[in-house]
Amino acid sequence: MKKIWKFMGTAVIVLASLYLLQRLLMPKYAADVVEGALIAEYYEEEKDHDVIFIGDCEVYENFSPVVLWRDYGINSYIRGSAQQLIWQSYYLLEDTLRYEKPQAVIFNVLAMQYNEPQREAYNRMTLEGMRWSRSKADAIRASMTQEEHFLDYVFPLLRYHSRWSELGAEDVRYMFSSPKVSHNGYYMRVDVKPAENVPEGRILADYRFGENAWAYMDRITALCRENDIRLILVKAPSLYPYWYDQWEEQIQDYAAENDLLYINFLELAEETGLDFTTDTYDAGLHLNLSGAEKITGYLGEVLRQEAGLPDRRGEEHLARVWDGKMEAYEQEKERQYREAQAAIY
Amino acid sequence: MCRKILAMTMAAGLLLLAGCGDSEKVIGGDVVNVTTGSRYEESAGAQEGTTAQTSQTETAASRGYVLTVNNVTVEVDAEAAPIVEALGEPVSYFEAASCAFEGLDKIYTYNSFEIDTYPSQDRDLVSAVILKDDSIATAEGVCIGDSLEKLQEVYGEATLENGMLIYAKDGMKLCFIMQDDSVISIEYRSTAL
Repeated sequence: MKKIWKFMGTAVIVLASLYLLQRLLMPKYAADVVEGALIAEYYEEEKDHDVIFIGDCEVYENFSPVVLWRDYGINSYIRGSAQQLIWQSYYLLEDTLRYEKPQAVIFNVLAMQYNEPQREAYNRMTLEGMRWSRSKADAIRASMTQEEHFLDYVFPLLRYHSRWSELGAEDVRYMFSSPKVSHNGYYMRVDVKPAENVPEGRILADYRFGENAWAYMDRITALCRENDIRLILVKAPSLYPYWYDQWEEQIQDYAAENDLLYINFLELAEETGLDFTTDTYDAGLHLNLSGAEKITGYLGEVLRQEAGLPDRRGEEHLARVWDGKMEAYEQEKERQYREAQAAIY
Repeated sequence: MCRKILAMTMAAGLLLLAGCGDSEKVIGGDVVNVTTGSRYEESAGAQEGTTAQTSQTETAASRGYVLTVNNVTVEVDAEAAPIVEALGEPVSYFEAASCAFEGLDKIYTYNSFEIDTYPSQDRDLVSAVILKDDSIATAEGVCIGDSLEKLQEVYGEATLENGMLIYAKDGMKLCFIMQDDSVISIEYRSTAL
């Protein structure tokens, strides 16, 4: 009996040590590449959202949930991540439905251009933040490049052990928790870099979206339908990468065939008031705060009228929660404007 | 017995910390996904670590297909700075930051062609060269508008990949897109990305 206890005690020590080592060596996404922290932040939220966004950087940099709440009383969250692939979007939606059922899901269609797994670094920024579930396991299997191994996602220590030579104070400070980097999934940038000399797209040999991408688009559509969720497709107003007419046509056809609302913000610059000399921080790839607030304002009106989403600003508890969020949003905005001014001078 | 288990665990931990070798792509704290290095850098590295310089006039018998413009050799995976300097002011220049990661992809547009670059360590390397009209030809004499027959006469049988006719050489690809048996696009592409 004593031996059994000794063995168990030893095993606990060993496992605990390995766990701590893993926590230490995993990237924290708290300094330079903060986008890796986006997916995990969702789990700390109260799960009572009317709208969930899924997609790549064109959702988390171009739409502001604060504007949806402030101006329309719509409670939303962006489950976006860098180069989020469509199968990852599907599994993230499946994951989300384990916690809540929104009235509407908004999906950015740029990811349709990717039919196969792309890069491990982007995979990890999306997948590592997911809590373990069948959805996460399926997402990993769908996403892995040829060089990757499933076990490296189960035990990240196997992948990150080489980071020991790069450890810094941040790795210790944020071993168990990281500072919030988003505002309900929105990544704020206030700086300005006007769009100019945006190149035209290259000629492609085949403009058709791939079968795998379509299969997951169908699965997203079906999952929303099964759960009585209004699916809305969007194309964010990013000038680069180039959005081809041939891609636009395919999405329009799909939306029509499946009775889905599709909004291409690239065609709504006048209606939204977008100005690519002031509303982008990286020459037209992504919008800054000014741009994001403009197109979100437009989207909010659409959601109210087309999706019939209620105004929940009268709900005391939710209003209190959002008061705190809006305060943090304004503080971040001021901080960034201050830094931008300081950089000029 | 407990000590043996503990010792084995510590040994295993040390082995894990030692790493698996130099060739592994490391995802660091800033998650910089270091590329495995260009074909050009790998061959340069094989020459006892000397840094190979782009030769502006040297022909590319062993370095894949290259484009020559105004006596400037434009080669995929070569360092872009000397090439861009030699070519002079582009018609336009555009930078595209990747999602999340540092480093910029750069696009230099000239009258008849475009040079795209990617960051690699502390340099920009040529990722692609795209011919934009029929006023410029490949070094082998094929230009936009030429027939499939001419293409095959010059380069031989191609590999069909994603709808493109591909001629691979020395770790790079020369890619042709056809429409109605005429060349409508010519691209020199790196395979390092």
